[in-house]
Amino acid sequence: MKTESPGVEAATALLRRFEPVIRSTTGDKFYPMDVEPYVQACSLWVQRPGEEAVSVVPGGELSLDRLAQQPMDEAGAVHFLKFTDAEDLGPDSRGRRLRVFRGRAKDRKESTRPFRAGRGRLARVGYFSRFVDALYSIALLARGRVPGESAAAASVAYERIMADQERYRYHGRVLRQDGWIVLQYWLFYPFNDWRSGFFGANDHEADWEKIFIYLSESEAGEVSPEWVAYAAHNYTGDNLRRRWDDPEVEKVGEHPVIYVGAGSHASYYAPGEYLTELTLPLPSPLARVAGAIRSFWETRLGQYVRDGEEGGGAGYFSIPFVDYARGDGLSVGEGGDRTWDEPRLISDPPPDWVSGYRGLWGLYARDPFEGEDAPAGPMYNRDKSINRAWYDPVGWAGLDKVPPPTETLEAILEQRADIISRCGALRAEIDDKSRQLKKLGAELAAMRDRSHLDAPYQEGTRRVGELSGELDRLRGKLATDEAVSESLAEYADRLRAGERDQARAHISRAHRPASEDELRVSRVAEAWAAISVSLMLISFLGIAMFEREHLISMLVFSIALFAFVEAGFRGRLVNLISSANIGLAVVATLIIIYEFFWQLVVAAVLVIGLYVLWDNLRELRR
Amino acid sequence: MFLILEVIGLILLGGYELLQVDWRGINLRSPQHQAVEVAVFALFVPSAVLTLISALSFLFLQRRGWLLAAIAQGLSLAVCLWLYSLFQPNYVYPIMAYCILMILYLNSQDVRMVFRTGQSSQASHEN
Repeated sequence: MKTESPGVEAATALLRRFEPVIRSTTGDKFYPMDVEPYVQACSLWVQRPGEEAVSVVPGGELSLDRLAQQPMDEAGAVHFLKFTDAEDLGPDSRGRRLRVFRGRAKDRKESTRPFRAGRGRLARVGYFSRFVDALYSIALLARGRVPGESAAAASVAYERIMADQERYRYHGRVLRQDGWIVLQYWLFYPFNDWRSGFFGANDHEADWEKIFIYLSESEAGEVSPEWVAYAAHNYTGDNLRRRWDDPEVEKVGEHPVIYVGAGSHASYYAPGEYLTELTLPLPSPLARVAGAIRSFWETRLGQYVRDGEEGGGAGYFSIPFVDYARGDGLSVGEGGDRTWDEPRLISDPPPDWVSGYRGLWGLYARDPFEGEDAPAGPMYNRDKSINRAWYDPVGWAGLDKVPPPTETLEAILEQRADIISRCGALRAEIDDKSRQLKKLGAELAAMRDRSHLDAPYQEGTRRVGELSGELDRLRGKLATDEAVSESLAEYADRLRAGERDQARAHISRAHRPASEDELRVSRVAEAWAAISVSLMLISFLGIAMFEREHLISMLVFSIALFAFVEAGFRGRLVNLISSANIGLAVVATLIIIYEFFWQLVVAAVLVIGLYVLWDNLRELRR
Repeated sequence: MFLILEVIGLILLGGYELLQVDWRGINLRSPQHQAVEVAVFALFVPSAVLTLISALSFLFLQRRGWLLAAIAQGLSLAVCLWLYSLFQPNYVYPIMAYCILMILYLNSQDVRMVFRTGQSSQASHEN
């Protein structure tokens, strides 16, 4: 197995051979760019604990070399870049901005067509989620966040760079790991305007996205792509990657196509609108109680649990956002509107701007949820620890348990040989223990009904029990190992015959864009979704002010009414009725227990007594 | 079967309650408490009608049957709880108990799956 990374020329050739095609969404303003002009347009800042942030290198004086020096470093210090400048939005700059925009808009279709969220954006998510969503938006006022004008200022700064020299560039790294050749495409966007531009969760300066392609290499040195992995929200491990021959992986020649989320720049395999949820997990004691209740409800009472609820989710509260990856905007790469510039190669050892700069690549907004803080570079996480995608790209996509095709047969045969050898050892142990057990059995038979040997007889009985249990365990293990060995032999035969595994067997949760039905929401439903949360709060207020005499009944009635209308619009009337019935049944059960506690106890005892009597009588009759 | 039994039970219970009241001695300006309790039994009429219709729909495994039965049980239970909060009449308890069992039965995995499968096969036929 080769272990050394390919040289610069070979690495560049490989990167260019499989470089992706990115398809963005109309209205997207930022595209993958080289880090150098971005860094040159930034200033470098340091935020030390308990102090105001200070500028270390002013805008216009920063370079990639200087960035790596990371001055004024100390425990707890956060280094960050600032890309946007409020002056770009001042009245004096208006004429300059207009000139830049007009010059660039002439030949760019994406800048002339505004983004439209489409019908049913709000109506796609539930009542409670919309309410939590509203709270999340309100919470943004209190949290640290990227200032409102930043997206516009970043757009101006980006347009200025692009007007100077329009380039679309990725940062490529090629390495070998566990028999795979990994092509890493690191895409750098100057700004993530998902929240301000596309109703998403957050805005932040700088955005690093990644696409990895995993190649296998034959003995003759020929490479072939086997897997791809695109980074996207809420997906990890196996769910990130697709096999190269999976129909979901669209390709132009040998170039995989990526549908980029508008503003968020998350990568998707298929065009569409993706419902992404930020999940807020329940505190663990509550989650345990909820899990126990769910398990009792589902398994003991045999009750129905709605699709997607089986097993219980990690989080019961989630804030929904839609990621628009329509692919109808600018495309970059093979056959696209623009072509890639020569990639910036991240060689081994990595350049200083990658390994030396551990700070954030944009504004540090001090957001406790970190959603509004800029990300760190390819090599690091925000907390300065090393990013797994950097040091273990194979494990990052769950590929560490999958041998490359050239090694699969070898791995199977090795594993089978190990198991066969283990089976041999097990058989010898079983024979030995079986002989011991027989001898012990004979000893016990000889001691039976001899009062002076009661004590050793008891001890012998205990040892026989233990040995018998151990033999049972060993025989079970042997039977399993033999079955596994047989299965491995069949698997090897299938591989020799050229058969392959199912392409999607490893995926437990696939990226799924909204279906046509989900997108086909009426205007009335959308209007309802937009106003219902506010309307409900106002109606609660009205009831509290004017109907205090019937406060409870009016509140129950209004909640039922809102829930009924909502369920009707969302086609979930059955679920609503089912949930309401269960709620009513629980209340009624509690009332019955309260009113007839002792009678129920007596009845239960009576039933148990009668059952025991019936059971015993039945036995007598036999 | 259980739904038909429920309707019969409701009719019998209503009839029995009606017979317990001396209707000739009723003063309409201040009716007896017991008479009011019996009169509000009429609130169960809509749910009884729904239950009857749902029982007929159940025979044909129509999904609507499940929905109507679930609505009828919810309605009956809601009326029971409301009456319990006002008068606590004795007849609400057996109705409550029966409705609880019916709700658990209707929500059981087997029953839900039958009507869910019915829905999907129906949909595929329509397509």
